Amino acid sequence: MNAAQAKNLSVFFSKGKEVTWALCGINFVLPLGGSLALIGESGSGKTTLLRALLGLVAPSEGEALLFDTDLSSAEAAKRRSVRRRCGYIAQDPYGSLPPTLSVEDAVAEVWQLVHGSTEEAKEKATSLLEELNIEREMFKSSLRNGLSGGQRQRVAIARALVLEPELLLADEPTSMQDASTRWDVLEVLKRRIKRGMALLFVTHDLLLAKVITERGLVLFQGNPCEEGPSKAIIENPMHPYTEALASALPRLGKPLKAAVRRRGAPKKEGGCPFLPFCPKSFDKCVTSPPFEDISLGRKVACWHFL
Amino acid sequence: MISIKGLRVTYHGERRSVEALRGVSLNVRQGEVVSVVGESGSGKSTLLLALLRLLPYGTSVSGQVFLDDKDVLELSDEEFRKLRWCKIALVPQGSMNALTPVMTIGSQIAEPMEVHLDLDKVEAKRVAASLLEEVELPVHFSSRYPHQLSGGQRQRAAIAMALACNPNYLLADEPTTALDVIVQAEIVKLLLRLVRERNMGLLLVTHDLPLASGLSDRIAVMHDGAIVEEGESLELIESPQHRHTKALIAALKKLEVES
Amino acid sequence: MRLLHRWSLWALALGAIIAAIGPYFFKTSPEEAVAPPFVKPVWLAKDAPPSLHLTITEEHLERRFLWEYEPPLRFSLKGAIRFEVPPEVAQIVWQTPKGTMVLYDASKKAESRIDLDARDVSFKLALGLSPFQNPMPHLFPATGEYALRLESSEPPAEISLALQVPGSRWGLLGTDQRGRDVFHLFILGIRVSLLVGLSATFIATALGLAFGLSSGYFGGIIDAVIMRAVDVLLSVPTLPIMIVLAGLWGKGLFNLILILSAFSWMSTARTVRSMTLSLREAPFVEGLRALGAPSSYILWRHLLPEALPLLLANIALGVPGAVLAEAGLSFLGLSDPRLVSWGRMLHEAHAFGAFTSGAWWLILPPGFGIAGLCLVFLDLGRHLEEILDPRLRRKAL
Repeated sequence: MNAAQAKNLSVFFSKGKEVTWALCGINFVLPLGGSLALIGESGSGKTTLLRALLGLVAPSEGEALLFDTDLSSAEAAKRRSVRRRCGYIAQDPYGSLPPTLSVEDAVAEVWQLVHGSTEEAKEKATSLLEELNIEREMFKSSLRNGLSGGQRQRVAIARALVLEPELLLADEPTSMQDASTRWDVLEVLKRRIKRGMALLFVTHDLLLAKVITERGLVLFQGNPCEEGPSKAIIENPMHPYTEALASALPRLGKPLKAAVRRRGAPKKEGGCPFLPFCPKSFDKCVTSPPFEDISLGRKVACWHFL
Repeated sequence: MISIKGLRVTYHGERRSVEALRGVSLNVRQGEVVSVVGESGSGKSTLLLALLRLLPYGTSVSGQVFLDDKDVLELSDEEFRKLRWCKIALVPQGSMNALTPVMTIGSQIAEPMEVHLDLDKVEAKRVAASLLEEVELPVHFSSRYPHQLSGGQRQRAAIAMALACNPNYLLADEPTTALDVIVQAEIVKLLLRLVRERNMGLLLVTHDLPLASGLSDRIAVMHDGAIVEEGESLELIESPQHRHTKALIAALKKLEVES
Repeated sequence: MRLLHRWSLWALALGAIIAAIGPYFFKTSPEEAVAPPFVKPVWLAKDAPPSLHLTITEEHLERRFLWEYEPPLRFSLKGAIRFEVPPEVAQIVWQTPKGTMVLYDASKKAESRIDLDARDVSFKLALGLSPFQNPMPHLFPATGEYALRLESSEPPAEISLALQVPGSRWGLLGTDQRGRDVFHLFILGIRVSLLVGLSATFIATALGLAFGLSSGYFGGIIDAVIMRAVDVLLSVPTLPIMIVLAGLWGKGLFNLILILSAFSWMSTARTVRSMTLSLREAPFVEGLRALGAPSSYILWRHLLPEALPLLLANIALGVPGAVLAEAGLSFLGLSDPRLVSWGRMLHEAHAFGAFTSGAWWLILPPGFGIAGLCLVFLDLGRHLEEILDPRLRRKAL
C-alpha cells in the first residue's frame, strides 16, 4: 500500500465554454513513510492536486488515491477512516481555524472527535503546542483575533498533527513564519518523518523542499516538468523551469538574477507548455515532450534531455 | 536625502499604549537602496507610515524626519500634502491595499497626477500610459480592472501609481510578499532599474533577508521597534555583529546547508 | 467593561428596579380611585385644595380644620361607632362657619356603621337637599374654620371614623378618568412594557436563530421553505394583520406576545442564515465533516457561538419595535383592559376625553415613557453593535 498515489491524474474546470486544465496527466507514488515535495508557483495545480487526493475535487481523468482509496467516490465510512489517518494543513490559516474556540480547544477538539476522551485530548494538545513553541499564555486565547499569522499557522499545524497521522498533506506550512520560527516547524515535521510519517509537502521554495523531503516533483501549469531527489533538483536542475525557479530564489549574499521570461507567445496546441516562457526552446518544442526517466530516479519533460 | 533621527511612535489604544518605534535613526540617499529587515511586529510598517504621516489620529510621534533639509514632522498637514507623493511615494504591500477594484488601472494611475499636480484628465492619461510602459505592462491594460490582472501585474501597476508624480524617494512595504518567486525576481529587477534610471532613493521594508541582501546597498535590521544593526549588505551578511542578526543569518544559512 | 459606562444600562437597571418593587410602595390598589377624576398633579395646581383626611378616634372626638378654598368635589365619611350601652343622644355634627348640621344620628343604637358619600341621594335628602343638587356648597359654604365631632351623652367604647375630602390635586401625576393615581399606573406600565418588549423579542430571536441556522446549514428544500415563509411574512403589513389576529384570538397578554414574536423573527433569521452560509463553506468545517463530526456538533459548538454576538445587538434593537407595537395595539384598544400598560393609558386618555379636558398629565408621561424605553434599548443596541463592528467606533485605533 502507498500513502498517496496519482495515476495519470487530470482535472479540468469549465466555466461556460471556457475549459481550464488544472492538472494534466500527473503520476507519482508516495510510499508509506516517504516524503515528496510538490514544487510550483500559483497556477501550477498543486492545490488542486491536494484537493483531488482528499476527495474534495473529482478527477476528470485518472485516479487520485490516499492509502489506495479514491476518496471522491468512496462511501462515507471508508472516507472517514482514511481521512483520520491523514493530517491536512491548508494554505490559509485564517479560514482553517474555528473562530469560536481557544487555541487549546481547537487542537483538542480534533482528538476528542475521534477518540472521545477529553483529558487525553487536552494533554495531547498542550504537548503539541509546546513543541511548536506557542507560549503557554496563549493557550486560552480565542482564535477570533489577537494571534499573528505565524501563530495561527502553527495552531493549524498542531491541529493537523494531533491525531498522529500516517500521512501529512502540507500546503505551504511555513509561509507565514519568520526565519526563526520556520525551523521550529521544520524540526517538528522532521521528527515525525523519522518516526515514519509520510509527508506530501507543497511549496514554491526549492530550498525548503530540499531540507525536508527526499524527492520532489516540479509542476508548471498543471504539467509535470521534473522529478527526482530534492537535493539533486535544486543543485542540478535540468528542466528550464526548474532552473528559473532555482535562480530566482533569493540567496544570502548573492545578487538576484531573474530568469528572462518571454511573454506573449501563445501556447501552441500540443506543444510544450513551457514554450512561451522558455529561453532555451528550439524547433522540437512544438511537440509536447513526454515525462520520462532519463537516469535512475530522475524524470524530465524536456527535449534537451530526451 | 531622507534623514530620520530618533523617531518614536506610540499607538494609543483604548486600554493600553504600544510603543511601536523606539528611537529609529536611518538615512536614505537618492540612487541608494536601503532595506529594513524585520520580523512581523518589529515596527517596520509603522516606520513607513510615519514617514508619510499616515498614522492614525491620536498616535504620538516624536523625533525628526528630514526630507532634503526640511523636517516633515514640523510641517502642517497642508504643507506636507504638497510633498506627499510628489517627493516621497509609497508602494504598498499586496496590491489589495493599493488598487481600488472599481476604477480602471489607467484612471487609478492618473488620479495622483490630477490631485497633486493639477494635470487635466487627458494629459494625466497620457503620462499614465507611459508609466505603464515603464513598468513593463502592456498599454492596453489602462482600461482593465484590477481583478483582471495577476498578482505580479497588480504590483507593477501599484509601482506605476507610486511613480505618477515623479517622486525622489520611493517607499516599498513588502512589495514582493505573496508573489510567486519568479515574479518576485522580476519585480525586484524592475525596482532596481527604476532606481537607476530615475535616480530615486528606495527604502524597502521586508522580512526576507536573502531578498534584501540581493538588492540593497545597505541593510538595517529591525527588532522590537529599534534598529539593532545597520551596514553595507555584504558586510552585514558576512560578519553580523548583533546577536539578533547573527541568529537570523544562522537560521537562514541552515536552510542552504542542511538536507 | 465599556458597557458599564453607557447611561442606558443604568437607566434600564433603574427602570427594572422601579418596575419590580415600585408598586409595593403604594398603599392603595391601582384600581382604586384616590381622588376625583382628571385631578391635576400637586406641583401643577398649587392653589387647588389639597386632600383632607381626618380620623375621629376615642381620644379625638373632635377634629377642627381650616378650609380656605372653593368647595371640594367629594366628601366621604366612613367608619363605625360602638357604645357599651345604647346612648340617649349620639350625633355626628358638622360645623361650618355658617352653622352646624347633623350628618348622622346614631342615638339609641349600640353599634353604627357609617358610610356617607356626598354623591349618595340618601345623604342629600338627609341634609334636606334635593336629589339633584350639589351638596358640596352646602357642606362648605364659606372659607373659615370647620369642625367634625361626635356629640353624645356618653363617650363611646370604640369609634373610628375617617373623613375623606379629596382635593383637586393629587400625587405626582394627577388622576385619570376613574380617579386612579396616574403615577402608580405609570410605574406599573413599566412592567408590562418591559415584559412584552423583552419576551416578544427573545422568542422572536430564538425563532430567528433556529430557522436561520437550519436554513443556512441544511440548505435545499428546508432553506427554500423557510426563506419563502420569510418573504411572505415580510411583505405582510404587520399592524393590520396584528389587529386582525388580536380581534380573532382575543386580547390576552400571552396572545399579544405570541403575535408580536411571530412577526419579528424574520430579519434575525436572514442575518443568521447568511452567517451560517459563509461559515458552512469554511475550510475548518470541511475538515470537521471529513473527520466525521455530526451536523449537530458543528451547529452547536461552532455555528451557534458565532451567531450569538449577532443576536445580542438584534435583541437590543428589537425591543423598541415590540414595545411600540404593543403600545400601538393597546392604543387601538386591542389589549387586555385589565392590564395596565402605557399604550392602554394612552388609549384611555384618548377614549375618555383626556385630550379635550386638557389633562395632558395623562398623555405625556406614558408617551415619554415609551419613547424613553425605546431610546434606552436603542442605545444599548448601538453599543453592542459597536463592539461587534469596530468600524462604527468613533475613536482612532
